[in-house]
Amino acid sequence: MAPAKGHFSILYFAAAATFTGRSSEELPAPVKARSLFAQLEDRYPGITAKVLSSCAVTMNLEYIDIDGDDAPQWDLVIQEGDEVAIIPPVSSG
Amino acid sequence: MATTEPVTYTPDLPPSPVSRTTPTIHVELTPHSLNSISATTFVRSPSAGATVLFIGTTRDTFNNLPVSSLAYTSYTALAIATLYLIAESVLSKHELTKIAIIHKLGECPIGEESILIAVSSPHRQAAWKAGEEALEETKKRAEIWKLERFEGGEGIWRANRDGAVGVRVGEDEKKGVEEKNDV
Repeated sequence: MAPAKGHFSILYFAAAATFTGRSSEELPAPVKARSLFAQLEDRYPGITAKVLSSCAVTMNLEYIDIDGDDAPQWDLVIQEGDEVAIIPPVSSG
Repeated sequence: MATTEPVTYTPDLPPSPVSRTTPTIHVELTPHSLNSISATTFVRSPSAGATVLFIGTTRDTFNNLPVSSLAYTSYTALAIATLYLIAESVLSKHELTKIAIIHKLGECPIGEESILIAVSSPHRQAAWKAGEEALEETKKRAEIWKLERFEGGEGIWRANRDGAVGVRVGEDEKKGVEEKNDV
């Protein structure tokens, strides 16, 4: 389901879903990808240290690198309608 | 903070199997019980002299703690794409005839199959190696998560890369967790 106008979808899996108490939600767009973790910390205090620090992030099914000043996607902007996901360490098998 | 998974947690999962299939590759995520015969039937070929089948089943303990039940969840759209990339890469690298990777989602009773990997190749050595590599890559990369529920306790999201205790959300940072592979 596409997010509402002016919003993007964010999906939470495993420990991220546990911490936020939900599997997805919609947040206002556009927003700089590098400010995503700070925004999530505001909504869910403590999530950075306990969950996000070990997580990867995808946007529209591609991994993005927003960690650090020289990250390749430092200027990436999350746009309306995008699908972002928080990916904790995986455990299949 | 009540952030530990309640016993009643039910993972989001697709109601029917999701798969991607070509003449030589089959990858699938399914809420149904796994069928190893269908995996080996898919990879069987007159040009292949060897078929290797790996069946992963769920254990009843983790570090000697009794596990009462398990459930798998996934980012299905991404996990299918990742499984396909793994299958394609292993197929080409080991010159396989065919490959199938199938993973269970949702509740998986102890002792039942959670993953099947079947590969076929003209000769046995490539099939053995390819089967192992496909499994290791899947465990490392596929966007699938295992929730282990311990007897009398809460659930813990495992992390393959930790190989130790996994992440119990709501508890302080794990100390001294070594980075090692859990195989």
